[in-house]
Amino acid sequence: MVAYYPSIEPATQAYDQALVDIGLAVGSHVRIEQTEYRFDLPAAVEQVLRTDRFDDIYYRVMSPAGLEIAGDAELPAPPGDAVAHNTVYNGKKVRVVSVQAPCGRSACTVLVGETMVKRERLVRDHLLQSLFPDFLIALATLVIVWFGVKRGLQPLSRLSEEIKARSAGDLRPIDAGGAPEEARPLVGALNGLLEEVSAASRRQQRFLANAAHQLRTPLAGLQAHTELALAQPIPEACRAQLEQVHHATIRTARLANQLLALARAEPGARGDTASMDLKALAEVEADAWVHQAMARDVDLGFELEAAPVAGDAFLLREALANLVHNALEYSPRGGRVTVRTGRRNGHAYLEVEDDGPGIAPPERERVLERFYRVPGTPGTGSGLGLAIVREIAAGHGASLAIGDAAAGGCRVGITFPHG
Amino acid sequence: MRLLIVEDDAPLASGLQRILEAEGHAVDVTAHGEEAVLAAAQERFDLVILDIGLPQMDGFEVLRRLRATATDKAGPLPVLVLTARDAVDDRVRGLDLGADDYMVKPFAMPELTARVRALLRRSQAHGGPRIAHGPLTLDTVARRAFLRGEPLELAAREWAVLEVLLARVEKIVSKEAIIQAVAGWGDDLSPNAIEVYVSRLRSKLEPAGIRIRTVRGFGYMLEEFK
Repeated sequence: MVAYYPSIEPATQAYDQALVDIGLAVGSHVRIEQTEYRFDLPAAVEQVLRTDRFDDIYYRVMSPAGLEIAGDAELPAPPGDAVAHNTVYNGKKVRVVSVQAPCGRSACTVLVGETMVKRERLVRDHLLQSLFPDFLIALATLVIVWFGVKRGLQPLSRLSEEIKARSAGDLRPIDAGGAPEEARPLVGALNGLLEEVSAASRRQQRFLANAAHQLRTPLAGLQAHTELALAQPIPEACRAQLEQVHHATIRTARLANQLLALARAEPGARGDTASMDLKALAEVEADAWVHQAMARDVDLGFELEAAPVAGDAFLLREALANLVHNALEYSPRGGRVTVRTGRRNGHAYLEVEDDGPGIAPPERERVLERFYRVPGTPGTGSGLGLAIVREIAAGHGASLAIGDAAAGGCRVGITFPHG
Repeated sequence: MRLLIVEDDAPLASGLQRILEAEGHAVDVTAHGEEAVLAAAQERFDLVILDIGLPQMDGFEVLRRLRATATDKAGPLPVLVLTARDAVDDRVRGLDLGADDYMVKPFAMPELTARVRALLRRSQAHGGPRIAHGPLTLDTVARRAFLRGEPLELAAREWAVLEVLLARVEKIVSKEAIIQAVAGWGDDLSPNAIEVYVSRLRSKLEPAGIRIRTVRGFGYMLEEFK
């Protein structure tokens, strides 16, 4: 549209010039007789002047004093000193020019008006002529931009695919190497954010470690003193109550441990992943478990084969400890519990088997819920153990399965993904 | 025995002190790492129970300084580290710095006293030529064993197996570890051979109340003599 005005101007000027010529021709027919102005326009001449292929032409002749001499007396004159204007006459849009024609010693004013058909046609044609190429150029530009942008954004799409494919706990920085120059600041900003989030998660880890310390030390004191008191000769009534306190202390300590483990198993709170062998993990803990088993008169055995996995050592140890604790807790006196690690079809696994009452199939899904305990279960568990194991397994992309042991008890196994 | 407890939680420290005094030990308590380092440098202790989470100088630093200064006296000073943290790193770091054992709070007192006894026994075994376990005595220099004062006949490999188990009373010793310890005695040994030696040891020791527990699929444990 910007191209329209400058190029249309010479054309409209040419049309105005034609009207000026008509005005001069009309003016040449004014004569002065004594003091009277006379106007004689032969019909044939008027015919020629008024004829146009597209437009009606009007004229109006006025004396130097402004008196009407001839023509269309209603034709509006341009305002002020203007020599031309657009106006309306007989209900049509007209272009009117004002011409000074010599009349004796002074000049008469001749107005010549013309309807605007050919001017408007000119504008329309002009518009079409100038806009059509514009339109084509715009279209071509659009197509080029479309493909260009699409191609240019491909690295960004790859970037967003990479981010989408990440697990919730993966806070490693994004590799900026594959990103286009323009996206580097974005990747930088994202990495900054990831760094902040993992810093927050490290702060949380420190908080948890401190919370553990704050909680466990007084519990250790409480346990020490109740055990001391229980070792003294005290009245039976007191002893029973003290034993309750002692049990509650141990349960509280275990619950605190479990809540901390659960918090640490949350996505984003996880520690570093390292390569390790479940066999070695079990061997390190075996000592403590065997003493627990001896206290319960349970035969704790091991069938340990190499089971390499990548994971969080603390969490995997916690998962295994929870499974062993459950098995010991629900085994009868003189029962057998077996801890197994190894590889099956290339998948590392760990499992714990007991010869306790087992878990009925309808309950197997529910026991994985936090705080759920199978109705009628003896003992003092919190119902958190298997929920923790499930969270930890899920965090490692591993699957948790509850089944029947060969000896009739329960078998809980975690199978890890390849690699 | 003379023990030093370094623990800033007063109720826990006093509880530990009373329990260990009831076991017949002389027990000193401090809440400060600096004091512990100073005391260990000036006086002779048989064992230190050291909390990691101390104010100011933490347990790791205390451990580092104890290990840096107290090597010249009669044998290394055993250190049992207590921690309320559960980070695996803490355990590894503690053992790397030379802690002899490691317990996570809270713990049962019988477990603590058992570990203290085991550590004291081990350090004495390092220090002297004689190891005692209930009615059993091993003279490691003369390589002779006595049961209730009577000489006990042991084959060379039986002796080696018993020595390994006795060094780690109340701890599981894997069959692999036993094989490694006994391997110096000649040709390669199968796990089955170890079973044979253990069963011979049992038949000689069990009448005196000394029990070797089998940990199925793993190894053996010499139980505490009661």
